[in-house]
Amino acid sequence: MPPDFSPSSGWGRSIQSTSLRAVDSIEEMQEKLVNLEGHRGALPIGLQRSYGDSALNSGGVQFSTEKLQEWNLDRETGEIRVGAGVSIRQLESIALDQGFFPAIVPGTGFVTIGGAIAADIHGKSHHKTGSFSSIVKSMQVLYSDGVIRELYPDGPTSAHFWATVAGMGLTGIIVNAELQLKRISGNYFDVRESRCADLSILLAELRSADSEYDHTVAWVDLSGEFRGRGVVGMGNFATDRDEKFGLKSRSINIPITFNKSLITPLTVKSFNSFWYHKPLKSGKLSINAFTHPLDGIGSWNRVYGKRGFLQYQFSIPDGHEDFLFTVLSKLREIKGASFLGVLKRFGSASRAPLSFPSPGWTLALDFPIGIPRLEATLTEFDQELCQRGGRIYLVKDSRLKPDFLPKMYQRSEEWKTVRAQMDPGNKWKSDQGRRLGLC
Amino acid sequence: MEIGPREKVGTLLNSFRSPQRIALIGGTSEIGNAVIAALPQGAITEVIKISRANSNFNVASALNRTETVRALFTQDLDLAVIAIGTLGNDGDLSEDANLLNMMDVNYVATAHLLSLLASEMKKQRHGQILIISSFAQERPRIDNFGYGSTKAAIDFYARGLSDSLINSGVQVKILRPGFVRTKMTVGMKPAPFNIDPERAGVIGANLLQSDSKIAYAPNLLKIVAWVFRHLPEKIFLKISKA
Repeated sequence: MPPDFSPSSGWGRSIQSTSLRAVDSIEEMQEKLVNLEGHRGALPIGLQRSYGDSALNSGGVQFSTEKLQEWNLDRETGEIRVGAGVSIRQLESIALDQGFFPAIVPGTGFVTIGGAIAADIHGKSHHKTGSFSSIVKSMQVLYSDGVIRELYPDGPTSAHFWATVAGMGLTGIIVNAELQLKRISGNYFDVRESRCADLSILLAELRSADSEYDHTVAWVDLSGEFRGRGVVGMGNFATDRDEKFGLKSRSINIPITFNKSLITPLTVKSFNSFWYHKPLKSGKLSINAFTHPLDGIGSWNRVYGKRGFLQYQFSIPDGHEDFLFTVLSKLREIKGASFLGVLKRFGSASRAPLSFPSPGWTLALDFPIGIPRLEATLTEFDQELCQRGGRIYLVKDSRLKPDFLPKMYQRSEEWKTVRAQMDPGNKWKSDQGRRLGLC
Repeated sequence: MEIGPREKVGTLLNSFRSPQRIALIGGTSEIGNAVIAALPQGAITEVIKISRANSNFNVASALNRTETVRALFTQDLDLAVIAIGTLGNDGDLSEDANLLNMMDVNYVATAHLLSLLASEMKKQRHGQILIISSFAQERPRIDNFGYGSTKAAIDFYARGLSDSLINSGVQVKILRPGFVRTKMTVGMKPAPFNIDPERAGVIGANLLQSDSKIAYAPNLLKIVAWVFRHLPEKIFLKISKA
């Protein structure tokens, strides 16, 4: 094996793949793209926090955006031109120093701006702000012909802009983007938590919290009785400063990969019972602790053992709440305890054909690989989602069958047409794209 | 995320290690079909069965083998099962043209197909190939050393190829069945530990999902094989003649 081919996996560690990884400047990327040979193509990658095979390109090139780190903030307007390789965490830190903050941040700060746009990520604020693309004012994209073009959400370049948003890196390399930051006066969150004994109460609580709070999310206990009890977390940015709080946070790291998964129905049940009964938070909380709770434990994916885990995140429109109950009972049948159950309400959808969020509910579940009947059960869920206007989140996906894709993303054909204009040589490739027939 | 140097690189399948596009060379093989039937079905989008009848496949032609394999790779292929082979009892090459043919099919053609598939899969840097070896390759027995030699040869080749592919993303797996009750063994006296093709299929499918390179069918034959290899000559000859 030539030494430059290196293996990598998604955050779930359940799929591995070997690619030619290049950490290049834009000029080097341009040159390589023009001279690209073979059928395995190229794919831009960021911090590879997608769970499955979205950021993998076996046998092809992975262009890391690591070197795209420049930024330039307008201190008056809060507009920032930021390189695709800058992480959300870095962006938060840059913004906070000047009294700004991105209105949309995901559950982890370890994703790049390029990745955030390419997956059109969402955060706890989705019901108020929409997905990440709503703060993108323009972006520069390197096309497979080696030319950099500036794209805008409106006007003649809008089709290319919205195909690149949630385009999973299959339309070009996002070089940088101009984002609109939000001015803030405080430096911490005012939070409240509320314990709910079952799923009906939890759903009602989330609905009512959404009107009062800019940031809401619920943790759901998917173990034991599978009644869907949980804790709703809500927060608003404080309007004053408290010098006690900064972005700095302590974190611990899981140093080794366990042979077997530590996540079993028993450990999940015990942990969830503890988590459900832990004292509720109320009052001031640091930005990091509230927005990125899991970043406190580095490499937490290692607890799932050698075979890794998968995340199943779906959305379902309002009026289909019964499906959430179906999910609970089916998971109970197969003893599919999930360590991390996250429930949230979505606001309005973005204009991108492949963007995931749409009005209604979203539920994210983590499962260790190896739960008997899990694959078949998730496929049943997929089928039901197709009928109910739901869909699964591609950046978390590692197993969807290609025939479900157009049913979940009904504008996928439109996206493919635009992609074909942007990349006539079909050079952008990913393992997920090949699996789902996107490229 | 990057994978450390000590971790084994697997093949690219979905999270459940379920292949999507599969080829079965020897499309009518009962064991081959049973392996595919025993795989997780959730992800499968296409199973291409190649046989003389439906694909103009001519196992004896090197050119035809090359063209057949190339034609499979219009899209990524996740799994290829090579299930061609003939069975015979005679070890006398001077008398039996069937044995020469068996050597051609079981070793030369299979090794060629294996190598062609591996080289195509290396380009996609993922994929699995399963070959069907035999318990007969463990030690020459008087009653089937001709057949055993063809299986020993392909087994040896496949093991070497498998090792050469470590961290390429491509895996070669070897299934060593004992006596399987198929149409190929109709009329033969079933040997001890005989199984039906479905059982062999399940073991083959499990092998594909595991980190192991080799599996016996039934699994117990692994121990029998060890004993077989270590039996003193005198005792072994007695068994072998029987």
